[in-house]
Amino acid sequence: MQASITTSPAAPRGRRLLAQLGRPAAGLVVLLVFYILIVAAFSLLSPYFLSLGNLSTIGTNMAFIGLMAAAGTPLIIAGGLDLSVAAVAGLAGVVVALLAALGLNIWVACLAALGAGALLGAVNGLIVTRLGLNAFIVTLATMSIVSGLAMVLTGGLSQPLFIPAFNWLGSGRVFGIPFPVLLTFLVFLAFWVVLARTPFGRHVFATGGNPEASALLGVPVRRVQMTLYVLSGLSGAMAGIILAAMLGAAAPNAAGQHLLTIVAAIILGGTSLFGGRGSIWGTLVAVLILGTLANGLTLLNVSSFWQDVTRGAVLLLAVGLDQLRVRLKA
Amino acid sequence: MSSPDRGAVASARLLIEAVSKAFGGVPVLREVDLEAGPGEIVALLGANGAGKSTLMKILSGIYAADAGRILVDGKAVSIRSPQDAIAAGIRLLPQEISVHPDLTVAENIAIAALPSRRRLGVPFLSRREIAAQARALLDRLGLSEIAADRRMGSLGLPQQRIVEIARALVGKARILIMDEPTAALAEAEAEALFRVLDQLKAEGVTILYISHYLDEVFRLSDRVVVLRDGRIAGSFRTAETSPDEVLTAMLGAMAGELFPRKAAPGRPGDVVLAVDALSLPGWIADASFVLRRGEILGAFGLLGAGAEKVGRALYGAEPGARFAARLAGRPFKPASPREAIAAGFGFVAAERKREGLVAGLTVRENTTLPFLGRFVRSGFVERRHESEVTSNWIRTLSVRTSGPEQEIRFLSGGNQQKICLARWLVGDPKVLVLEEPTRGVDLGARREIYAEIRRLADAGLAVLLVSGDAEETAGLCDRTLVFREGRIAAEFGGETGPRDLLRMAAGHDDAPAAAGRRSAPQPPSLQTGAPL
Repeated sequence: MQASITTSPAAPRGRRLLAQLGRPAAGLVVLLVFYILIVAAFSLLSPYFLSLGNLSTIGTNMAFIGLMAAAGTPLIIAGGLDLSVAAVAGLAGVVVALLAALGLNIWVACLAALGAGALLGAVNGLIVTRLGLNAFIVTLATMSIVSGLAMVLTGGLSQPLFIPAFNWLGSGRVFGIPFPVLLTFLVFLAFWVVLARTPFGRHVFATGGNPEASALLGVPVRRVQMTLYVLSGLSGAMAGIILAAMLGAAAPNAAGQHLLTIVAAIILGGTSLFGGRGSIWGTLVAVLILGTLANGLTLLNVSSFWQDVTRGAVLLLAVGLDQLRVRLKA
Repeated sequence: MSSPDRGAVASARLLIEAVSKAFGGVPVLREVDLEAGPGEIVALLGANGAGKSTLMKILSGIYAADAGRILVDGKAVSIRSPQDAIAAGIRLLPQEISVHPDLTVAENIAIAALPSRRRLGVPFLSRREIAAQARALLDRLGLSEIAADRRMGSLGLPQQRIVEIARALVGKARILIMDEPTAALAEAEAEALFRVLDQLKAEGVTILYISHYLDEVFRLSDRVVVLRDGRIAGSFRTAETSPDEVLTAMLGAMAGELFPRKAAPGRPGDVVLAVDALSLPGWIADASFVLRRGEILGAFGLLGAGAEKVGRALYGAEPGARFAARLAGRPFKPASPREAIAAGFGFVAAERKREGLVAGLTVRENTTLPFLGRFVRSGFVERRHESEVTSNWIRTLSVRTSGPEQEIRFLSGGNQQKICLARWLVGDPKVLVLEEPTRGVDLGARREIYAEIRRLADAGLAVLLVSGDAEETAGLCDRTLVFREGRIAAEFGGETGPRDLLRMAAGHDDAPAAAGRRSAPQPPSLQTGAPL
């Protein structure tokens, strides 16, 4: 009996393909291919899908989600998590509406909302980094507190916000591009530059990859995480303002339902929930995929209940494929 | 090596015949033959990349061999998965301790096949059987002092290691493969482990023992087999060979002195770091010393004696540390590693994986992390500059890597350690603390690292070497502080041998140092240390 004899049948070409798939950039390419495929599929199935009007609808619908996902990506890369971000968005809209109703200048009201968002982010950050509590539990709790407060302040009712200059933030266009889309793209661009090119960005990856070693190597681990929580709170407030401007009203629970989409986009984009690994462009493409999927299925008259099912299935598929890729590499 | 004769086949517990393995066309093992009898401890030595771990992984079913046969008790076995290996009676104990700290000792031992009893068709755990099985195994290993119902995490490292061995013995383990089992243990603690191995040997269990520590190998093994470049480079009866002979076989052309020469005698360098009354509650009490330019100062002690915390206390990594110190004439009291680095302090941590590496980052990113600021121009990191500097260190320290962009986790231990050293040389620290700089590092890389440390000291760096390895401390240091029960018990010069250090660290033969601390180390038996 011959023991333990195997051959190596893998053809060189197959091996080269595997090596390519193992590269970090490959995840992004796979996502882009998937995105192109669903765009192609929907444009075949629905003539209206590829129209300029519809594309800008997808853009504006996803912009405020993208804002929060953009800030959430480096936070998760650094080993953090902010489940309260969508609740902060709801509260920010409410703050703007209530302060404006009190006769305050609308832009001052917006600044106050941004300040509130940053403050809530700082509270999350302080509890997580100073008390060393688990980010999932802390931000789950603050999510509940913040969305509860938004309800308390409004009695659960939508607050109208019709101020043309303010509503422009939601519906205005710059060079034909909807302002929310432009803003979100610029925020992604800024986060990419910061992550890829600055020492802070390097510290984000180091902090998430191994906080203990990073601290011993002089990386200001807590300050990095703290900064990212504040940025996350700020992005929530920004998203809330944009959403209120789009809707012409501040609904206390307007953004809460999108939390799952935000987290799903970050993970779909290839960011590891365990930290240390992730890509900001991956998140952007994932946001586009999820937005396109929702929009295309709506055009095809698929009920929103089935859309939830589809979104979950896509997430599972993407995460499964990514794991496969990582394992092939090892 | 020629094929063993018939008689040997009959008596061999494990027989490996012409096993070969290649990765991507690169041969890693070339027709390796190995034989081990019942109750024999065979030490497997070899530099990094010699093929040791590949051979172990083939035996334990993680890789499949490309060619060759493996026979257990004269019968050919096909090992294609870890389950096959276990069925053949082969168990692997990996280098890293892996236990469930929140389960009891007994549950840890029984975890693979929990004894259960069906009631109404539902399996219930049988706590009594779990406990009885654990008790029997622990008693068999002569470990009546370990209570089976204790939480695993409350045991010391050496005892956890021993419980792991007990776990491997569940079922009928006939061949035990141990990869660097003492890597995380202090010398004295390893002795408890060795007694267990002697016991297993007496019971006829065959042990393949991988270690970088020659003194261990000579203390334990019956035979020494040396791998080099995927081939058997030598096979010796331990009683009939010498460390020199083994080293020559391992290193081939590289053979030579392991340690560089000591600092030239003459005028001692200026004091760079003066530490007054360093204390860390529970670890160090009132330790004062100076560190000079150009010298390698050792801090040596048994585990728990305080030496292991000296470097990190000064580095600002121990919040409870109190001391007054001057670094290059200026008061030095860092509140964090960040401040210590800014003041000119460098630190290579003992636990490389946990405290030294950011696994997902590249070699380049790991190299530049502490001094990233030096690579920043107008707010942006200059990658090209980083790459140049990293490539330069890769060449200088002959780091085996595909380049600065390789993820550091794919490098071998020795090469990772070289990067951990190089990252401090990117800046120019005045003081460098090295904790266990060669733990889990093969001999070839060890020699290179020692030479580099000496070169740095010659260039004016003040080095504090914190090591639990007496051989290393005696071989490398110009001066050594021996710690006992948190205090500096003695200071030795560069000519002191490892035995004197150990003797001082252990106190008198009947008075174990640091008793009642994290663990109670036994006085080390002063074995045949390899006089390298």
